[in-house]
Amino acid sequence: MDNRIYVIGRDYAPQFLRLDAGEEVSMTLVFLPGRDAQLSMEVDLVGPGARLDLAGLYLCPGSERVDLQVLVRHASGGSFSRQLFKGIVGGSARATFDGLIYVAPDAQKTEAYQENHSLLLSDTARVESRPQLEIYADDVKCSHGATTGYLNPDELFYLRSRGIPEAEARHLQMQAFLAPVARRLPDALAEEIYASLP
Amino acid sequence: MDELIKDLSSATEYKEGFVTEVDQEYVPKGLNEDIIRMISAKKQEPDWLLEFRLDAFRKWQRMTPPQWGHLKLPRIDFQDIIYWAAPKRDEDRPDEIDPALMETFDKLGIPLHEREVLAGVKPKGEVAVDAVFDSVSVTTTFRKTLAEQGIIFCSFSEAVREHPDLVRKYLATVVPAGDNFYAALNSAVFSDGSFCYIPKGVKCPMELSSYFRINASGTGQFERTLIIADEGASVSYMEGCTAPMRDENQLHAAVVEIIVEKDADVKYSTVQNWYPGDAQGRGGILNLVTKRGICKGSGSHLSWTQVETGSAITWKYPSTILKGDDSSSEFYSVAMTNNYQQADTGTKMIHLGRRTRSRVVSKGISAGHSENSYRGLVQMGPAAEGARNYSQCDSLLIGSTCGAHTFPVIRSQNPHAIVEHEATTSKISEDQLFYCTQRGISPEDAVALIVGGYAREVLSRLPMEFAVEAQKLLSVSLEGAVG
Repeated sequence: MDNRIYVIGRDYAPQFLRLDAGEEVSMTLVFLPGRDAQLSMEVDLVGPGARLDLAGLYLCPGSERVDLQVLVRHASGGSFSRQLFKGIVGGSARATFDGLIYVAPDAQKTEAYQENHSLLLSDTARVESRPQLEIYADDVKCSHGATTGYLNPDELFYLRSRGIPEAEARHLQMQAFLAPVARRLPDALAEEIYASLP
Repeated sequence: MDELIKDLSSATEYKEGFVTEVDQEYVPKGLNEDIIRMISAKKQEPDWLLEFRLDAFRKWQRMTPPQWGHLKLPRIDFQDIIYWAAPKRDEDRPDEIDPALMETFDKLGIPLHEREVLAGVKPKGEVAVDAVFDSVSVTTTFRKTLAEQGIIFCSFSEAVREHPDLVRKYLATVVPAGDNFYAALNSAVFSDGSFCYIPKGVKCPMELSSYFRINASGTGQFERTLIIADEGASVSYMEGCTAPMRDENQLHAAVVEIIVEKDADVKYSTVQNWYPGDAQGRGGILNLVTKRGICKGSGSHLSWTQVETGSAITWKYPSTILKGDDSSSEFYSVAMTNNYQQADTGTKMIHLGRRTRSRVVSKGISAGHSENSYRGLVQMGPAAEGARNYSQCDSLLIGSTCGAHTFPVIRSQNPHAIVEHEATTSKISEDQLFYCTQRGISPEDAVALIVGGYAREVLSRLPMEFAVEAQKLLSVSLEGAVG
């Protein structure tokens, strides 16, 4: 399955997607620093065996406003979706993630997963996360998870005690945080992202 | 399994659904300033309280009912409700409780026979009860025992008469009169409820409890509860409720406010068993409730535990404002819906103070054609340095015609706070059922067993008296779903 990559602002990301029976789509969305962005995306899984693998990362170290809305609708049973969104928010930036998994009546044997993790770097940054489930079928496996947190001081101490300068250690921590999404990207883009970490 | 579902979809009896035949007095139907003056006069309230009511009423008139719940609310005609109903007192013996009322609460298993408990005639379950029948408190037990330690536990109306300064100091400080549509309505027309004050450093020696009973038809119940735990005090408070079976919807719009001072500890438990309507979704209570507490002082603690099995519609979000540094709060909930019941319930944890902690555990169970939603907010304020939250919301679906939803909001404004939320949705697997049934456990018992295990984490938080009751209630509510 090829992985489609969209850098928001450079590439045109689809707003609506429809996945028929057996169709598989893998997609990665990238929000680079220095740009406000608003994206709403709807994905309909309308046939059995349809699979969606969606990931995204957002970097907002300055004064960005990033607003992300994702609606994944399982209209047919036997479909699968996975979402993973990770964000780093600092400065006076604001990031909102609003994700809804909808499982229609009788869409049995649906599997749907959604994760959203964000790191806050400053006192003036704001993060809001709304991971939602709306489920009308009983024989399904659905879960979501959301966290907001900060760079773990113990990890930082571990790295610094081994002679790694603080700024570099923080970068390593952030890279590790983003890695599950960043490793889906070509090296050049991943490098660009790592270079832009605050 | 499908056959089992069909097989058992006959409704079970709601055993609290009887009506008590007593003479009752009412105010006229409808709502306007005169009605409010009338209610206030009946309760012989001071002017400031009447002003408070009128002010709330004027606010309410400018408000519209909230629409954001995942609920199909029937249109409520607020002019078609009787806002105050009370059983008539015997003129000759004004201090005695009507035997019919005594019998009612007896039938509901609520111990009002203080003397017998004291004399050891009845099994000793040390619980002080404030029993509210429609719009008035019938009696409050163990008041003297409690008063010896300086604890005030009485009906709200009495508190207004006897402790006006306390009431005035704390009333509407947590839920302002104009907080939301239903809270404003309650502030305008509230009837009775419980008032509880635990003085500095006192640990309440027994469980306090309120029992709310709706009896009269065409009425609504608007109780108001105010609990204050002063510095270092602690109390465990329980609330229960039931109503007769009727084809009409009855409105219940309560407000509960809890103030927890420095190092105090309040545990608030609810077993909500209002009439849920029949198997076709006719009738039932509309339970539209605002409950909120504030952990005002440092090191204070507030714990909410709720078991929601009744009501046609539940709209309820017990919340905590964690203002004091190092304060903590928990919310444990089991919400069970069957037939055509709808529940939209959850919590708000507003972290303002440093190192505040909260934990949310919500277990939803939907069966039949019901809709069950968890809705929650966890907010980390700019000063909530080192604050921590963990939320877990699980849904269990029984049958393919119900819905289970999770709508959490996480809002963080602090780079030194951690919020974690996770939710899962599942059903009772054929394997689990098979395992039980092949060991000779009937399918009904097997489902009750599995659901009991699923809800255990919450049920184990309830006070003893309630835990047993809640377990029974869950299995009864489940009957007719799968068994």
